[in-house]
Amino acid sequence: MMKTAVEFDKKNLLASGHRACGGCAQALACRMVLDAAGKNTIACVATGCLEVFSGPYPDPSWRIPFLHSLFENSAAVAAGVEVAYRALKKAPVNVLAMGGDGSTADIGFQCISGMFERGHNVLYVCYDNEAYMNTGVQRSSFTPFGAKTTTTPAGNRFHKKDLPQLAVVHGVPYVATATVDDYHDLQRKVKTALSIHGPKYLHVYAPCPLGWGHAGDMSIAISRLAKETCLFPVYEIKDGKLVSVVKIPVKKPVEEYLKVQGRFRHLFKKGVPTTEVELIQEIANQNIERFNL
Amino acid sequence: MEKLPLGLALDLRKVVPYKTGSWRTQMPVHVMQTPPCTFSCPINNDIRGFLRILADKENFVDAWNILTRTNPLPAICGRVCPHPCEEGCNRRDLDYPLAINCAERAVGDYAIDKKLDHRKEHITPRQEKIAIVGSGPAGLSCAFHLAKRGFKVKIFEAEHQPGGMLRWGIPTFRLPREVLDYEINAILKLGIELECNVRVGVNIPMDQLTNEYKAVFLGMGASIGTRIEVPGDDAQGVYSGVEFLKEINSGKQIDLGKDVVIVGGGNTALDCARVAKRLGANTSIVYRRTRVEMPALSEEIDEALEERIMFRYHTNPTQILAEDGKVVGMLCVQMEMKEADASGRARPAAIAGSEKVIPADTIILATGQAVDYEGIELNKRDEKWISTDNYLQTSIPGVFAGGDAVLGLETVSAAIGQGLRAAQNIEDYIAGTLQNTLSRPPVVLSKDLNTIYYETQRRFSKQGLPVHERLKGMKEIYSNFEPEEIVKESDRCLSCGLCFQCNNCLMYCPDNAVNIISGTGKYTFDLDFCKGCGICSKECPCHYIHMTLE
Repeated sequence: MMKTAVEFDKKNLLASGHRACGGCAQALACRMVLDAAGKNTIACVATGCLEVFSGPYPDPSWRIPFLHSLFENSAAVAAGVEVAYRALKKAPVNVLAMGGDGSTADIGFQCISGMFERGHNVLYVCYDNEAYMNTGVQRSSFTPFGAKTTTTPAGNRFHKKDLPQLAVVHGVPYVATATVDDYHDLQRKVKTALSIHGPKYLHVYAPCPLGWGHAGDMSIAISRLAKETCLFPVYEIKDGKLVSVVKIPVKKPVEEYLKVQGRFRHLFKKGVPTTEVELIQEIANQNIERFNL
Repeated sequence: MEKLPLGLALDLRKVVPYKTGSWRTQMPVHVMQTPPCTFSCPINNDIRGFLRILADKENFVDAWNILTRTNPLPAICGRVCPHPCEEGCNRRDLDYPLAINCAERAVGDYAIDKKLDHRKEHITPRQEKIAIVGSGPAGLSCAFHLAKRGFKVKIFEAEHQPGGMLRWGIPTFRLPREVLDYEINAILKLGIELECNVRVGVNIPMDQLTNEYKAVFLGMGASIGTRIEVPGDDAQGVYSGVEFLKEINSGKQIDLGKDVVIVGGGNTALDCARVAKRLGANTSIVYRRTRVEMPALSEEIDEALEERIMFRYHTNPTQILAEDGKVVGMLCVQMEMKEADASGRARPAAIAGSEKVIPADTIILATGQAVDYEGIELNKRDEKWISTDNYLQTSIPGVFAGGDAVLGLETVSAAIGQGLRAAQNIEDYIAGTLQNTLSRPPVVLSKDLNTIYYETQRRFSKQGLPVHERLKGMKEIYSNFEPEEIVKESDRCLSCGLCFQCNNCLMYCPDNAVNIISGTGKYTFDLDFCKGCGICSKECPCHYIHMTLE
């Protein structure tokens, strides 16, 4: 009857009691990633929502070793941890570096670039909620075209930075994107990544109810809509070659995705020309062509 | 005091996690709801229940036990029921409805094959005696449910064999007699007494029944065929539909001649036509409206068309032509459709000068049925049917009624459903607490479901005999189904309104506030941590989780 739900990992390594908003997809994605990685893992987390809601003393939600560093250097810290483990000749451990889209694409980009370039055995997980949510919804370079933030009140004029491709041109052996609605896919990608030696990059799409202006219960549905409207292509690149793409047999118009979110509401006000929506549809069409969705 | 590692002021292992449940304004609850199949079934069978047992455990015995909680005649209903459940099935908006009717028949056939009996262990015998008049589907169902409640039940049957319209009205190619006999015997084995060849009102007066028995159930059906008034209908070779089917089903040979014309558009007319076709006659059906207005089951009309039975629509008989007292033809007139009448169907009106003659050796007028009231005095509805109150009680206190005699002409399942409700009401009547206690949880509609999580699958389709094989005799068209196919079909059930352990709530809760009770496959909510975001409710495929205010 149903898509077989046999294989899944649930170990609650990010435990209850964290202070994320109701319906936070980042908390959900982080738990799924940690559960797939298992107990033998060290997480280095950049400043951002994730660190703020899960880290405060004395009851952190982490059930694995957890290092909080600055906004920009989680990749560098993770690289150091990995090298230290090698130098001390300890048993191998999964090293994860984590951050939101701001710390990944803007502030921490040089550290990530260095980590990729030096070839550390680290999996970098980026939780993409398309703005600086922790500090009050400011534009980041992952904010999509047309989205309203507090620093772009009339809608963002710039296109989203394609970080997975930047990782590919760094020569990273494994680059993948995933969404929270398909946990089989997400957890499989985490496991595949951890089985490969070298730097890895995983881009997880995580809706933010507060910043995007939708109800908490819509997080999963919106993440699915992003996939189905082809605005967020889900794929896997191994050694520079595209190895798998989640095909979308029935493609939905982008309006379905845009209309359920408050940050795109200004596009549908009376008297506003439809050119911007058409431009967003054009982005989706380019994705369809590029990845043969 | 325990010594702590350097730099720590607090033992982290003793810290109680922050209870985020206090943020909540609404909370999730599990609500079991009525699926639309059960809601649209006249008997309210637990369809979801038996399909899930078939799909999960492949257990036909348990499936039969679930079905026979309400319906004592699954193998019969699996053959002749027009399956309103499938019309209700929420899968119709996803791909195709489930073949519930076929699954029911497979379960019933399995019971016949393995000779299963109804369970008696929970019955506590009672002293009250109850009389049932008529052993059709309504009477049998009422007797069954009363016997299960421990009453002493006695059935009075006018004919020499039980079954009523099931036996005398339905031809054997739709309902083989061994199926009928098995299911009736299984009911009678519960300790029900059956007395055949007794016509209540003629052989036994009604007063005697009401005095001797605590309650009486009238399930006498509509056993008289009524004809429309056509001049010349006293000629030899004119039958009413019920009469014709009864003659055939009791094994009599009738010489039909070459051409048979049937008047009417109900199930009786179609059954007559299909029987006549199998006896080798050229058969045509004369109906004054069109297929859309025909009261017969659509499936049966399709099968009749496959069997090359000719349908003459917009045609009405005006006179039956006879030579030497024997039918030779029928004078018919063309009709045209005018505005709708009281029944909501378009009113046909004759076109002047369009008369023509249809040759016929036998004419069957299947144009209606009526109740045989001989010796029974009751208040009536429309001068024809028994009038009852909300509890199916007639104008005589303690006398209940159900089936075709109350409903007008309805289906087997509707009669079984009334038998069930009458049995419940009779129990209440004897206890002196006759009141309406029927309440159902709300029905799940397909808009409530999250159909993304279901996959489209091919529907099970039954394969009948080829037409030339069918017409060779009275053999059943559809042979028994493969159990594997039925189990596969059952797995298409969406389980509307009841959890089927998909783990969505468990996996999608950002706060890990959904826990699984190990071993049972059931889920609980940890309200200490649930923030009430509603993802579990939104992503529940079957609408089993609801959000309510605290």
